[in-house]
Amino acid sequence: MGGTEDKGSGAKTVVRGLCFIGIPADSNSVQVECDNGKIVRIRPLHYDWKYPDLKPWKMEARGSTFSPCMESLIPPFTLGYKNRVYSPNRVLYPLKRVDWDPSGAPGSTGPGGRNTQNRGKSKYKRISWDEALDIVTSEINRVKESYGMEAILSQSDGHGESATIHASHGCHRRLLRMLGGYTLQTRNTDSWEGWYWGAKHVWGCESLGQMVPVSNCIWDIAKNTDAVLFWGCDPETTPWGFDGQLASRVSYWFTDIGLKSIYVCPDLNYGAAVHADKWVPVLPNTDAALYLAVAHVWMTEGLYDKEYVDTHAVGFEKFQAYVLGEEDGIPKDPKWAAPLCGVPSYTIRALARYWGTHTVSIAIGNGGPGIRGPYATEPARLQILLLAMQGVGKPGVHQFKMLEWGLYNKKSNIPLPPSKYIPMTIAASRGWAYTDTPPQFIPKDLIHDAILKAPIEWYGTTLSRDSVDQQFIRYTYPREGGTEIHMVWTDSPSWITCWNDTNSYIRAYQDPQVEFILAQHPWMENDCQLADLVLPSLTVLETEDIGVESLSGQFSCVFYEDQAVGPRGESKSDYEIVCALAERFGLLEEYTGGRSVKDWIEFGYENSGAAKEITFEELKEKKYYVIPQDEEKEWKERKAGLLDFYEDPEAHPLSTPSGKVEFYSERLAEHFPDDTERPPMPRWIPEGESHKESRDGERGKSYPLLVISNHPRWRVHSQHDDMTWLREIHTCKVKGPDGYYYEPLWMHPSDAEPRGIADGDVVKIYNERGAVLAGAWVTERIRPGAIYIDHGARWDPIVAGELDRGGAINTITPHNVTSKNAAGMVCSGFLAQVELAPLDELRRAYPEAFARPYKADAGLRLERVLEGGE
Amino acid sequence: MGKVMIIDITKCNGCHNCQIACKDEHVGNDWSPIASPQPLTGQFWNRVVDRVRGQVPKVKVAYEHTMCQHCDEAPCIKACTEKAIYKRPDGIVIIDPTLCKGSHNCIEACPYPGVIFFNEDLKIAQKCTFCAHLLDQGWTETRCAEVCPTGAFTFGEEDDPEIKELMVRAEVLHPEFGTKPRVYYIGLPKTFVAGCVYDPEADEVVQGARVTITRTDGAEVATAAEATGAEVATATQVTATTDEFGDFLVDGLEFGTYRVLIEKEGFTQIEVEPFRLEKDLNLGDLPMQQTKGGVS
Repeated sequence: MGGTEDKGSGAKTVVRGLCFIGIPADSNSVQVECDNGKIVRIRPLHYDWKYPDLKPWKMEARGSTFSPCMESLIPPFTLGYKNRVYSPNRVLYPLKRVDWDPSGAPGSTGPGGRNTQNRGKSKYKRISWDEALDIVTSEINRVKESYGMEAILSQSDGHGESATIHASHGCHRRLLRMLGGYTLQTRNTDSWEGWYWGAKHVWGCESLGQMVPVSNCIWDIAKNTDAVLFWGCDPETTPWGFDGQLASRVSYWFTDIGLKSIYVCPDLNYGAAVHADKWVPVLPNTDAALYLAVAHVWMTEGLYDKEYVDTHAVGFEKFQAYVLGEEDGIPKDPKWAAPLCGVPSYTIRALARYWGTHTVSIAIGNGGPGIRGPYATEPARLQILLLAMQGVGKPGVHQFKMLEWGLYNKKSNIPLPPSKYIPMTIAASRGWAYTDTPPQFIPKDLIHDAILKAPIEWYGTTLSRDSVDQQFIRYTYPREGGTEIHMVWTDSPSWITCWNDTNSYIRAYQDPQVEFILAQHPWMENDCQLADLVLPSLTVLETEDIGVESLSGQFSCVFYEDQAVGPRGESKSDYEIVCALAERFGLLEEYTGGRSVKDWIEFGYENSGAAKEITFEELKEKKYYVIPQDEEKEWKERKAGLLDFYEDPEAHPLSTPSGKVEFYSERLAEHFPDDTERPPMPRWIPEGESHKESRDGERGKSYPLLVISNHPRWRVHSQHDDMTWLREIHTCKVKGPDGYYYEPLWMHPSDAEPRGIADGDVVKIYNERGAVLAGAWVTERIRPGAIYIDHGARWDPIVAGELDRGGAINTITPHNVTSKNAAGMVCSGFLAQVELAPLDELRRAYPEAFARPYKADAGLRLERVLEGGE
Repeated sequence: MGKVMIIDITKCNGCHNCQIACKDEHVGNDWSPIASPQPLTGQFWNRVVDRVRGQVPKVKVAYEHTMCQHCDEAPCIKACTEKAIYKRPDGIVIIDPTLCKGSHNCIEACPYPGVIFFNEDLKIAQKCTFCAHLLDQGWTETRCAEVCPTGAFTFGEEDDPEIKELMVRAEVLHPEFGTKPRVYYIGLPKTFVAGCVYDPEADEVVQGARVTITRTDGAEVATAAEATGAEVATATQVTATTDEFGDFLVDGLEFGTYRVLIEKEGFTQIEVEPFRLEKDLNLGDLPMQQTKGGVS
């Protein structure tokens, strides 16, 4: 351990995955060509390089054949990854916040104090590894003695580089458990909110509430479907970070063989830009009204599958009464919906009629109202109900996802022909383990409330793999007999620029109750600026590991991942950092399981599934092994999607209480009889106790624009914001008149002009929660009334907790969870106002913030947080 | 014989892999005497240019690409006073970084905007080399062609049958320059006219309305309109039919003056007065009034 700059010269090619999902499953496989200790180039993996006889699967439909490519379809993040490895923003040695003194008492300020109130504003100084490890061990001992181990919060979830042994998340959990325990931040099901908290109550489909199985769906759609509705789906963006670009090829193929692609989204997203035959620009988070109006047309014109509804569903009569206006006197017809969702009534009617007379499937993609909007459960549930009204499960009628193929290593999550088996390296993973949930936990989207307003309560573990019955269990923090947290240990942290009302989170982390924040991360970005100690970790190209490709949809592989280049500076991998600490506690042998990294690599290979097909020596020599494809006979025979349920709902029930699609959930009625925010039957809920984000409400007068904030195009969440070659792309950053590269804000000309905003102007987006600066892109790619800014831009506080220059829109997203009893987060479909930013005024008022060292290529630089500017 | 590059814009998803791969190859890597390193930022030997077409909700994006065209009659070769620029037997045009003295003559002489760059640190001109240094090592395609996920880039020998087939459908940029470029484009965007027709009384769209677009400035309607599924009725007229969403979109048109007529039995026709078409145009949602006899 300890860094060496160079591993020695000599040309070599390293083969490995390079995707950014952050679990021991990978994709975006590459051939990294190195020489003289540096990366020369990063290329896609040519699967047939060492396996020239490789046979890909073939899918035939409508006289056309679709097959995987013989090279991996990597996205630009993977291709340009040198920008990350060699980023000027790398943390190269341990850093300590200058005004945080571990000998200071909790709550102490001034010299020798902990000065938690300065988090987000302080500078840092370099310290040695010895001193850093000393501080961590003594702090853990102090916290253990003062409060107990449960006072340590582990924030070790989320995305990041995928790795097995040198995992970017959760290596410290095992150590904390050995030391006596900890509190876990559980990752609320972000990007799946409406499905998990809503759709599961309609059709089961554990554990996410998205349709499962999706086996053979793409083939079935290619053969039988007339049109695909891309609803909350950008196949040209969201799959990039986790799966690569196969979804793009699928989208082009659908068009080639005559399927219509209809996109329903407020922005002309990158998939709509090149694939849409029709764009229906709906106002953000108003899709529930659109769905209800479509149902109204079907009911009044008899355009739905009555027989299926009779035999495959329960509760339809209640839904019909609501839609037709028998319940509340308001028929949910197209004329009712049009002013609410911004789609003309005649277009709604046309959509309903087309959908009701053709074979239509829906593609989702971790976007849209069914996820991070207020009351996301409502549009998500309505989508399923409408699919049910058209006989979901019958040939050509599916819900399927354009990404996360192979998630949880399940073939049932792959809509394309899979490999014979899915290779896994989980057995060797040294990061977080699913089974490791301690007695006290806090859902990620409630962390600020936990710190500032304890005790708090909520329902469910919020963990994505937990089944629906969890949602009826109430939890508290602190748990009975538990302790509040006083220390945070986070790895690859990403709260500020991705979560809910993060200005509150910043305030929570400035609270004296949080005595020590320890972060480990390769780059000085985002939450690291709140940490007291930042330990430098490595990128995966600087480590040796074992890995698999299992998410691309093309081929599955096992990789022996050689170390490409030497560690930069004094960086250690996340695993090595925790090993160093384990050693301090005399727990190294126990922590490592008595295995070296090389031992673990071989253990991973032995348990990958491929050990019977290739020897370890041969794997190392060839660098990778491609798992053979499923026999054609095998995969072709698999029933597509929910066909079994469609054909015989009694013999193949859904996992709902009735076994059928539940238009009305008796179980929700029983458990939450007074819940008007997630009622037993989905409804149009513009506002309620938890959220007032409707343009038509009171707040809409001050904040008349609806923000849509998507999965970013040029980042994977908060990763890659400093990639120089991406920042040169005009939809990635807008160069301000001050030379700063701002996060783009898309505005329609009809919204920009009255505000005096022109293309390239620096603007301020704000509501009561704070303000964020951005660079205006005046474009026809966003509908009037909506503005668009991706999440994940690096936080660059002008006033921490109030005003951000970097474009971290999540600092002003809604505070409350999806709804009272559904602890998902809300960070899209909310209200804001936009005006020209008074840059000169701001520069005068905050001279320090505007004078920080900055170079446009990679943006924020390490020197800006270093004492003396390095 | 010689190398050509064919870029099919109808297959380009705008991922920018091509632009990034070129950076990956040439920033920080020295391939002299074929190419010196590119600076970290500012040069785009293969540049993706977004073109947003139309107005809400009739909007599309086309991604165009600029790069050195490796012309057979390259003005840059003639303009170079140092004889630093030469054409290889395989057709590739190279600016020799060891001979370039930074006179800027090539940049001024090249008629294709933004494809030759000046490196302020090395004081030399730089541009796309079709990855000649890799081809010389046995690679069969350029970095940009290798990383394109959709097959939008095809690189190879102009005599190759597959390439020849593509070239038949392709065009060059600015043929009027007369430089004989070796880069071909399929699907260069032209201009569209679009709209949605609806019946306000019935509150529904009008499907099956006949839309006739007539060019009125004396020139012919471009034959590219044929490629987009519209019917070319006469030399100056294109027709289309509104679909299940009441929509029509006729692409492949050139700048000019046009008028539009929309007709359907049972409705009063819509006449759009002659207008100058200078960018992709959404005529908007057009109401069609039912005639006295009503609609059956």
